[in-house]
Amino acid sequence: MATITPAERQNWHAVQAAQHRRQRINKLLLTIVTGAILLVFVYPIYFWVTASVRPYREIFTMPPPLAIYQPTGSWWSVVIGGRPYLEVVQEVAGANAGTGGAGTAGYYVVPFLRTSIIVGVISTAVVLLIATPTAYGLSRFQPRGKQNLVFFILSTRFMPAVTAVLPIYLVYQNFKLIDTYHGLIFAHTVINLPIAVLLMKSFFDDVPQDLDDAAMVDGCTRWGAFFRVIVRYVAPGMAAAAVLCLIFSWNEFIFTLYLTRSPELRTIPVAMSTFDSSSGGTEWGFLTAAGSAAMIPVFIFMLFVQRHLVRGLTMGAVRG
Amino acid sequence: MADQVIAGTSSATGAARRSKGKFWSSENPWFWLTPAIIFLSVYSIFPLIYNIVLSLHEFKPRTKIFEFVGIQNWAELFTQDVRFGNAIGITIQYVVVAMLIQITLGMIIALLLDAKPWGATIMQALIILPMVTAPTVAGMLFRLLTHPNFGFISYILYGLGLVTPDEPLIGGTGRFALIGVLTVEIWQWTPFFVLIILAGLKGLPQEVLEAAEVDGANWWQRLTRVKIPMLRGVLTVAILFRLVDLYKVFDYVVILTAGGPGNRTETVSFYGYANTFLQVNWGYGAAIGLFMMVVVWLSAFAYIKLFRVRW
Repeated sequence: MATITPAERQNWHAVQAAQHRRQRINKLLLTIVTGAILLVFVYPIYFWVTASVRPYREIFTMPPPLAIYQPTGSWWSVVIGGRPYLEVVQEVAGANAGTGGAGTAGYYVVPFLRTSIIVGVISTAVVLLIATPTAYGLSRFQPRGKQNLVFFILSTRFMPAVTAVLPIYLVYQNFKLIDTYHGLIFAHTVINLPIAVLLMKSFFDDVPQDLDDAAMVDGCTRWGAFFRVIVRYVAPGMAAAAVLCLIFSWNEFIFTLYLTRSPELRTIPVAMSTFDSSSGGTEWGFLTAAGSAAMIPVFIFMLFVQRHLVRGLTMGAVRG
Repeated sequence: MADQVIAGTSSATGAARRSKGKFWSSENPWFWLTPAIIFLSVYSIFPLIYNIVLSLHEFKPRTKIFEFVGIQNWAELFTQDVRFGNAIGITIQYVVVAMLIQITLGMIIALLLDAKPWGATIMQALIILPMVTAPTVAGMLFRLLTHPNFGFISYILYGLGLVTPDEPLIGGTGRFALIGVLTVEIWQWTPFFVLIILAGLKGLPQEVLEAAEVDGANWWQRLTRVKIPMLRGVLTVAILFRLVDLYKVFDYVVILTAGGPGNRTETVSFYGYANTFLQVNWGYGAAIGLFMMVVVWLSAFAYIKLFRVRW
C-alpha cells in the first residue's frame, strides 16, 4: 500500500465530482425522456380541461395556446351551474349560432353525475357483499372442479355486452326492472362480480390459514372466523376491489343505455353520448367541461387509494 | 412445506366429512360459493340459452314474426358473409396491434419510472388519468382532437406529413380510421400495463437483481433474463383480462366511427350490434355474438392451459 500523494487525492476528488455530475446528467436525461412520453398521455386531458375554460374561438386555435389568456366560466356555469345553455351559446357565439346537440336534457350534468355515483356506490357495495365470502370460500376450500368453477366465473364476461343485453332486456321487461335503479344496480353488480371475486381471492390467499385455525380453536365457527378476524386483514384489498368496481361501473355503457329510458337514470357516459357533436360547432366548450366534470370524482377517489389500487390491478399476482 | 400442505388438505377433508349433508354449515364450501354462482348463472346462462335459441330463428318482415330457420343464420355467417370475414380481420388486427403496443409502451414507461426520475410520484399519479376517463367520454373528446379541420392531433399529423387534409385520421376515405380508434385504445389502456408492470418491478426481490449485477450482467441482460421472467406471473393475468375485453371492443368504435367509413372499422362486436339493434336481424346478431363468445372462450382456455394459470 503506497501512500497517497496530494496530487492523487486531488485527482480522486475530481473523479468523484465527474462521476457525480454524470449521474446528475443521467437523471436529468431520464426525467426529460420520461416526462416527454408522459406528456403525450397527459396532454389530451390538459387540452380538454383547458378547453373547457377557453372562450369559444380559442378552442379551435391551432396550435392551441399553452396559457389561458381569458379564462371563461361560461361552459362550466351550464354544465355544473345549470344555466340554460342557449343563453350561453348566444352570449359567446352571437345570436345566430348553431344550437346543436344536448337534446332535451341540456348540458347540465349534475343529475347524471348523481346517478353515476348512486349506481356506482351501491353496486360496488353489493359486489363486495357477495364477492368477499365467495372469494374466501375459493381461497380456503379445494372443492372438486375448482379450476373449472373459477373459469366459469371468469367466462361470464366472455359474451359481448351487445349480445347479452337483449335477453337481459326481455327478462327485465317481464320482471318490471327496466328503468329502475335496482335493475340497473343488479346489472352493474353482475358485470363487476367476476373481477372482484378473483381479486379478493388473491388477497385472502395472502392471509395465513393459521389465523382461521386460531380463531376456530378459540371457539369461532368458520363464519365467525371469517367475519370477525379474517375480513379485517383484507380491508386494503377490499378498497382496491371497490375502486376497480367503481371505475367499471362509472365507464359502463351498453347495459345502462338499453336498460334505462328516463333521463334520471342515465349515467354520465350514456348521457354524454347523447350530446350530439357531429356538427362540430359551439358545443365543444360544453362537452369538454362535461367530460372534465366526469373525470374529477373518480380521479379524486383513485388518488386516495392509489397504493392499494396498484396492488389490486395486478390481481395479487405480484408474488410472481 | 409439503407437510403443511398435506396437513391442510386432511383437515379440510375431515371438516368436510364432519359437515356432510349440512348445507348451512360454514365448513361446506358451497355455503360460501353458492350465492355468487346463482347470481352469475342467472345473468349468464339465460342469455346464453336465449341467444342459442334466437340464433336459430329470424325476424321475417313479411309475416312480422320470428320464424324458425334452423341453421340458416349460422350457414350464412360462415359461408356467405363477406362483411363478417372483414369484421373478424379487423378485430384480429385491433387485438394484436393494441396488445403489442400497450405491453411494449407499458414496459418502457414502467422501466423509466422505476429508474426513479425526478418527480416519479407525481408522474405515476398523472399516468392514471387516461384510465379514469370513461371510454365513451374519451372517444367523444378524441373526436375534438382528431377533427379534420380543427383537431390538434390532425394538426400535428398534417405538419409531420403523415396524413393529409384530404385523408384525415378519422373521416375521409377512412384509410387511417382504424389507427384513429387504436390511438384512443392505446392511450387509455397503456397506463393499465404501466401500473401493473411497475407494481411487479417494485415487488421483485432486490437481492436477485443485485446478484445479477455482481455476476456482471449488463442492463439488457438483467431486463430480459431476470426482470421479465420474474414478471411473468403479473403479466399473464393482466394480459388475460385485457384480452377478454379487447376482443369485445365496441365503445370506441360506436363513438368515434360507427364502424365506418364503409366497414373499415367494423369489429365483430360492432357488427353484432349493428345486426341486433340497427337492422333488427336479432337471430343473426345472436349468432355473431355467440361466435364471438366461443372464440373468446377457446382463446382464454388455451391461454390458461398454455401459461398454466392456476387459481
